[in-house]
Amino acid sequence: MPRVRGTGIFLFVMPDFTHILIASHGTAGAQAAEQAALAWCRAGGRLSHLVVVPDLWRGMMGDDWLNNASTRDTYGKYVENELRREIDVHIGRLRSQASAAGIAYEFKVMLGKPTECLLAYSREVAPALVVIGAPRPRGLPGLRSRIHPERLVVALTAPLLVIPYPR
Amino acid sequence: MVYTQRTPWTLIMGVIMVAYAYLVQSGALEVVIKYLGTGRHAGEMLTLGYTFGGIAILIGLWQLIAKAAEGHVDYYLSTIGGVIFIMLVAFIVKWGLDPQMAQWGRAAQPALGFNFASVMNLNYVVMGIVAGIVIVNVFKVPGWAENGVRLSRLGLKTGVILLGALYSFAELQQLGKLSIVLIGIFVLGSVGLVLWWGSRHNLPNSMTGVLSAGVGVCGVSAAVAAAPVVQAKSTEIAYTIGTILLFGVICMFLFPIVGKALGMGYITFGAWAGTGILNSAQVAGAALAFQPTGIETLKVAEIFNITRVLFLPIIVIWLAIWYVKREVGAQKVDVGQVLVSKFPVFVLGFILMFLLSSTGIFAPARHYQGSYFDNSDKVMIRKDRSGKEINNYLKDPDLEVLKKDAAKITRDDQKTALQRLIENKKLMSIEDDDTLRGVVNAKILSKEGNAVLTKAHRAVRHTAAKIAMFRDLIAWFFTFGLIGLGMQITMASIKQAGGQPLVIGSVVGVIKAVGSLIVVLLLVHETI
Repeated sequence: MPRVRGTGIFLFVMPDFTHILIASHGTAGAQAAEQAALAWCRAGGRLSHLVVVPDLWRGMMGDDWLNNASTRDTYGKYVENELRREIDVHIGRLRSQASAAGIAYEFKVMLGKPTECLLAYSREVAPALVVIGAPRPRGLPGLRSRIHPERLVVALTAPLLVIPYPR
Repeated sequence: MVYTQRTPWTLIMGVIMVAYAYLVQSGALEVVIKYLGTGRHAGEMLTLGYTFGGIAILIGLWQLIAKAAEGHVDYYLSTIGGVIFIMLVAFIVKWGLDPQMAQWGRAAQPALGFNFASVMNLNYVVMGIVAGIVIVNVFKVPGWAENGVRLSRLGLKTGVILLGALYSFAELQQLGKLSIVLIGIFVLGSVGLVLWWGSRHNLPNSMTGVLSAGVGVCGVSAAVAAAPVVQAKSTEIAYTIGTILLFGVICMFLFPIVGKALGMGYITFGAWAGTGILNSAQVAGAALAFQPTGIETLKVAEIFNITRVLFLPIIVIWLAIWYVKREVGAQKVDVGQVLVSKFPVFVLGFILMFLLSSTGIFAPARHYQGSYFDNSDKVMIRKDRSGKEINNYLKDPDLEVLKKDAAKITRDDQKTALQRLIENKKLMSIEDDDTLRGVVNAKILSKEGNAVLTKAHRAVRHTAAKIAMFRDLIAWFFTFGLIGLGMQITMASIKQAGGQPLVIGSVVGVIKAVGSLIVVLLLVHETI
């Protein structure tokens, strides 16, 4: 009986998906979803991993006007590198876990609104199942940028699995 | 890369602007102008409408017909659409929404018991910034306007540079000293307080570092400058910038309301806003919201802004050294390189304008400080447009009020100045005017007496046409800049305000705002 590590969820049926799309961004909830996706994907199957850089970063220069172009450029490059570094760590972790489970791994990094990006990537790779983590419970730290499951339910053509936030 | 986007919108906006100017010129909008009471803006409606509309039509046609090629010209021309977009919003807000809101405020006064438009300072500056925020968050800034919207930074910097021409040496010296003391205390104090708080609560050094710069120095700009130096994590940057933007926008509305409720003058409010508001863009916004029809408050507030930005390289170096001491493997900072790269070059432009104006190259020196003194008959008795004579000498009832109040004055110089005013029915010298302004400020006389002194003051103080135009130009640069910056304040970034940065930022921000208010009220006087 497969167990979704870290979530306390026990799966009583043995699903056998050949291609799963997982949208995650390294938070505790997303990592629980990753574990569920790895557990539900058949060995030899394919895991498509979507990492969204929320478009809120477009506004992260705010209304700065005092700095000169060189300072803004340094800041922009620094933030880009920082996000890239965080994403690299995240992708590296999931890639090695997928590899250990004998699952083919691919990823895509998209800039935009998480829900729209997920719908676009889902159309592109046409998975058999889409897995996401549940929204973060109120009060927990983290960026305020979330996927809206209710919109996915309407627009996705593949089944959607929402993994509860680990408690 | 080709930046220019093929869009009909530049052309459409140009046609709207020219058509509006034409309708104003032809008198077709007379009824609307009369209803809104915007007749005094008719001149700028024509000048700006035809100028910007004409440019937009030309560039709009070029964008539609010609094929853009890569290069500097392409980039510069790609900014025109955004500039025209901001100007159109500014026209709508300044000539339409502002007077309409004032009318609604007056109309609702009997029901509400107060004039909401006046109390909440819903003037063109505040509404322009709000319009910018609404546009970016509800409709999105169109792609063809993005490059132009980024130019708003340049607009604000140009406004500050031009403002340099309007200071006297004494003003700059005194405001400079005051700002160094106040900014020194509150910037260093709040940076120190955040660093202390962070270490006491074992917050990551990177988070404490970026937050201290943002909360302490000049808001988002300082956070942008300090984040790479203290190697802030992405979430820490998001928390900090969200907190500062949230606090800044709230302050921009609250400060003018509190300032007016406390009866603050231009200097005291400018000093308070310049010290107490976390984010530098909102300092200019609050100053213009407090005094939308003049730039005296803005002049004071901008000196404080400039002092803040001059503190920025010093604080960045301080944080860099602080961070290196605490983090193993942190990169040492090149002090010289930081000083050069973070130095705000536009401040040199401000100083250059000040020096040039001091030579009298633009207008006689006495014309710059707002109003110059002239009590000759040529200005005391003149005719209005209809040929009716306007006599600005004090009348007998005015003199009676002053005579009745004269006993309240105890200082000899003030007694002498008042006596000379009563004898001549007009102010006789700049010194007398300054002395009696002191009497008005100190509220020694009755309300009627003060009104007569103010009337006498206004009769001999005049604004040179050239300087008035210059002030309008500066106000337009700030309006353009602030609306454009409003278009860069996204709710998505404000929503990131949270975690420890929100707690620390709020506490330190409130301490700074209240502390600077108390210090300003106790120590800063309304005269320079």
